[in-house]
Amino acid sequence: MMFQSVFLWLHDTSFGTVIRESTWAEPIIETVHVLTLTVFLGFVILLDLRLLDLAFRHTPVSRIFRHLNPWLFAAFAVMLVTGITLFAGDPVLFYSTIFFKLKMIMLVLAALNVVVFNLTLGRTLEQWDVLAQTPRGAKITGLLSLVLWISVVACGRGIAYVLPPP
Amino acid sequence: MSTLADWTLAFCRWCNGSFFGHAIRDSTWLFPFVEVFHLLALALLGGIVILVNLSLVGVRFGNTTTPQLARELRPLMLGCIGVMLVSGFLLFSTEAVKMYGNWAFQLKMIFLVLAIVFTLTLQRRVIESQQTAAGVRWLTAAVSLLLWLGVGLGGRALGYVTTAASAVNG
Repeated sequence: MMFQSVFLWLHDTSFGTVIRESTWAEPIIETVHVLTLTVFLGFVILLDLRLLDLAFRHTPVSRIFRHLNPWLFAAFAVMLVTGITLFAGDPVLFYSTIFFKLKMIMLVLAALNVVVFNLTLGRTLEQWDVLAQTPRGAKITGLLSLVLWISVVACGRGIAYVLPPP
Repeated sequence: MSTLADWTLAFCRWCNGSFFGHAIRDSTWLFPFVEVFHLLALALLGGIVILVNLSLVGVRFGNTTTPQLARELRPLMLGCIGVMLVSGFLLFSTEAVKMYGNWAFQLKMIFLVLAIVFTLTLQRRVIESQQTAAGVRWLTAAVSLLLWLGVGLGGRALGYVTTAASAVNG
């Protein structure tokens, strides 16, 4: 297994140990992880709907980005920290599920989608910012983002479902 | 009062025995499948609620006013509540009788009714009214967030309560 040493290190970190041994750490961190979805995924979906011309049609895309981005980044940071903490409880067990691997692949693809958008259409945002119709590329980005993030959530649910409760 | 409890329990029994209760219980993947819809609607609903409340306490999103923002998001919000109610009911029907005695579930239902009523009545009036005091707007946002948070926490807790109960029962 190529991640063995990382898993071992995570497993033995202080937070990995707390997750395994405390009664309340896992439910509390899991709850924070799930409820932060309201900010992260909720705002991502709203952004995607704007790119797809389905919401906030009269507000420039750049303005939506500007207002939602700080919240998105903060929420993503919380999801990342809580996610890694939960994972540290038993990295090998998580990795053994197909849903965890799928979730990580979807996560990487979703991140790639953001990078590609920023390098292409994001650079010319001023040109189509206030157009009545977003360009086709923006719609594809929005749709891909929706599909990928929904897959991430579905796989996350799948992990909880195949792993027996502690 | 006992009649109401009897009726509720009878309804839970009916849900348990209904064809969808059976179908979702007996299938390996139907439950998580429905649950994903519940979660996605939760995410979007939460996002909308947070956005509207931020706007209510003075966080400006460009030159969009709070009533405009709320009106624009209302169809989406009602859609989310609809998806959550339907998917939530389907999930509930797989173990309705167990949920009947689950304190976290009871708490969640109380918060849910309060949150929906508050959102559609008092909060809506505060949003639409142009000259409410800042204190009232802050209070409205706080109550809205707390009620929905209660629903969310109840939802998280009910899973753990069931787990604990089933571990005790065998």
